[in-house]
Amino acid sequence: MGVLSVKYNFDPRTKLIIVLCLSTLGLILTDIYQLTIVLMVGIGISNFFGGNFFKLLGRLKKMLSLLIFIIILQSLFTKGGHSIFTIGSFDIITNIGLNRGLGYLLRVLIIITSGLIIATSSDRDMIQGIVKLGLPYEFAFMTAIGIKFMPLLIEEFKDTYIAIQLKGIEFKTLSLSQRFKISSYILTPVIASAINKSKQLSISVENRAFRVYEQRTSIIDLKFTHMDYLLLFMALTGTLLTLYIT
Amino acid sequence: MNNYIEVKGVQCFLDNRKVLDDINLSIGKKEIVSIIGPNGSGKTTLSKIIIGIVKYSHGTVALNGREVKEMTLGEIGKKIGYLFQNPDKQIFTPTVYEELSFAYGYNNNLNINNKEESIDEILEIFDLKHLKNNSTYFLSPGEKQRLALASILINKPEFLILDEPTTGLDYKRKETLSKLLKRYENQLGILLISHDMNFVKKHAHRTLLMESGCIIGEI
Repeated sequence: MGVLSVKYNFDPRTKLIIVLCLSTLGLILTDIYQLTIVLMVGIGISNFFGGNFFKLLGRLKKMLSLLIFIIILQSLFTKGGHSIFTIGSFDIITNIGLNRGLGYLLRVLIIITSGLIIATSSDRDMIQGIVKLGLPYEFAFMTAIGIKFMPLLIEEFKDTYIAIQLKGIEFKTLSLSQRFKISSYILTPVIASAINKSKQLSISVENRAFRVYEQRTSIIDLKFTHMDYLLLFMALTGTLLTLYIT
Repeated sequence: MNNYIEVKGVQCFLDNRKVLDDINLSIGKKEIVSIIGPNGSGKTTLSKIIIGIVKYSHGTVALNGREVKEMTLGEIGKKIGYLFQNPDKQIFTPTVYEELSFAYGYNNNLNINNKEESIDEILEIFDLKHLKNNSTYFLSPGEKQRLALASILINKPEFLILDEPTTGLDYKRKETLSKLLKRYENQLGILLISHDMNFVKKHAHRTLLMESGCIIGEI
């Protein structure tokens, strides 16, 4: 499938519109089965464009435990429905709670899939795609830079976490309050470094005459192909039909 | 000699690329060994394998007789002090004092009763006393380097791994670092990774040469 997407070199606008469709459905639909179908379609599309959802999921292993924790919390604090698991007279998990938790997980996975679809185009192509869709260049540039910096920030979180442990701190032996206190130490240097990086970046882009002229020209010329039109037709029809039926 | 670090037949792949091949290395408890080699030869990867940050596929790595794979990073951190190439990576508290006192709150190997005394002593040794309550974010590169090393040594490690400690330091700062290292040379073992032959010559008992993921000789 990925080979086909390379062959046709899809327009980034097609990908952006498909992501818009997926995220709209993810936001509006509440039924677990429907959300599951949207996710499956999203995974299929990301695979078609050359992304690998399951490989990405493997990289996000640590985040998954946090997601599962949030699902359990959602489930615990949702009242109503019939109980699935009780301790004494307390309903720990109800069917409505479980539904909300699963819905949350599916929505997050749909967002991850959307990110993966966007990541199959280069930053420069994606900026051009956003501009051609009518959004200001500054906004497109900001978005692309933001996406580009995400892995760097994740890397810094990891480095600080390692540095803390290398001070002889064993997380497993710490109490919950100590863990929370240490978390603030992880956050602070990452935020400080992000501010520093953005300062340096702003100086760098200013030095390269960013926004000197009102109109910005580009060497990249985007053109819809027949395959783009076909995909857009399928995505928009599918989305509208789903919304109409539900 | 009683070996503190024992690396046997280690092979490591990163992104399906072989970065280390059949590495064998033994370092005594109070021995100072340096590794030199061109960029990308695998020096930093090897040091990260020794402290358990990077996983290896074949062979064994043992610290004081214990397999690294069986130890947590916290356990390794109590034994080994690791100085990153970029000190910004390991300074994470808002002030110099907090950076030095951090481990006292969590590392049960340290005696909390000696906390203030030890901090004052290390501040004195590393010429950081005047910066005790300063923010860590506005320190100069040399000060950051000294603070990173001080915060490692206050943990009283048994062994030090220094990854390119002279990077970005001018001659004067290198001299200061050299004097500081001399002070600790008889107390603990050191693995020194560097490009700087002059610096290495001053400290190392033996120097290993790495190229393309292999140790190709000893100088």
